[in-house]
Amino acid sequence: MTTVVGVKCVDGVVLASDRRASKGGMIGSKSVRKIYALDDNKAVAIAGQLSDANYLINLVKAEAKLIELRRGFQLTVKEAAKLLSNIMYSGMRSYAPYVTEILVAGIDETGPRLFEADVSGAITDEEFTATGSGSPMAFGLLEGSYRQGIKVSDGASVAARAVRAAMERDPGSGNGIQVLKITKEGMEWMDIGGNGQ
Amino acid sequence: MMSREFGYERPFTLYTPDGRLIQVEYAAEAVRHGSPVVGIRGKDFSLMVTRMKDTDPLINPVEKIHIVDENIGMAGAGYTGDINLLIDEARLEAQRHRVVFEDPIDVRSIVNHITQFMYQFTRYSGVRPLGAALIVVGSDRTGNHLYQIDPMGLMISGKAMAIGMNCENATGMLREEYREDLNMREAIMLAVKALSKADESNAPVEVGIAAESRFIKMNLENALNRAN
Repeated sequence: MTTVVGVKCVDGVVLASDRRASKGGMIGSKSVRKIYALDDNKAVAIAGQLSDANYLINLVKAEAKLIELRRGFQLTVKEAAKLLSNIMYSGMRSYAPYVTEILVAGIDETGPRLFEADVSGAITDEEFTATGSGSPMAFGLLEGSYRQGIKVSDGASVAARAVRAAMERDPGSGNGIQVLKITKEGMEWMDIGGNGQ
Repeated sequence: MMSREFGYERPFTLYTPDGRLIQVEYAAEAVRHGSPVVGIRGKDFSLMVTRMKDTDPLINPVEKIHIVDENIGMAGAGYTGDINLLIDEARLEAQRHRVVFEDPIDVRSIVNHITQFMYQFTRYSGVRPLGAALIVVGSDRTGNHLYQIDPMGLMISGKAMAIGMNCENATGMLREEYREDLNMREAIMLAVKALSKADESNAPVEVGIAAESRFIKMNLENALNRAN
């Protein structure tokens, strides 16, 4: 279930998600968070088992903070994504996989970055991507609307529209959209639509 | 056995006939040779000051105040390796707490953890008690805190304290001039004055301030500007 979308832009990166949590055929929650900040310039968007994802995020946040304190400077987005995917890989290898797919987005010295980590621990470097049950619909919109050199302001609207498209046709997605813009200036959160939708 | 008469060269964990643990006392002695740290707790803040190790113009000065988490800082006196071990243990414990509770750790809990960690080194043979003492400054929802941890695993909480070389000189000055109603600027000035009683070098001063659930470290000039 879920639709989450990531869009890399020239001046930053955007994550967008729906707000629905499914419990079997029921809507378990209409206001669930699927985008989490790792620190002041990195965030993740999650799909799949919420508990696995939350646990992974806590673990990565702790490990990243320890590394930052020990060496005196923050992890790059790629390092954070690798940290995450290494844990997921070891989960898969020990027959207790973390059943979640995670988009890692952020901005560092190398510019805006977007990665996708899957259950097997594979990470891919993406321009734009989507995951979750609504991703086929989201990809349809992204493939048509994404342009190289897009700015964050337009990227945010493309990402939100992709989630909106998925919410129209995917029963696993709905109940409003959350968007996070990450630029050099910091993070900007935005909520579109509300619980009852 | 001749050495027995003198109480030396016995396993660390054994008591002397008069009930002392000599190796632990030696560890405390190592701390008294370390560079001093002064801590003061005011009404709505707590802070510490120390001088960076700055002995050679060719060598970069070594920072002595360590950020443990967003709300806690520590500075040590004694063997650098031992201090670093404790700082790392504290950082680990702070992050363990976050993984479980998704909130920053409180100062009392982290001090308690480090205290127990150090205490274990006084109980087993084959280990050396850590030659390090710590000043811990932190702020949480229960208020602002100032603690001292010594090699025997003793935790002291208080209003003003000093560790390291000639710390009794600094403590003497603090005892005379400490007031409950010190503002931040006055507290920094008093801490530096007390520190100078123990450490007469003119190496750059580092200040660590905890207030409103945040800990930050900075140089003296920035600290005084901030306090205004």
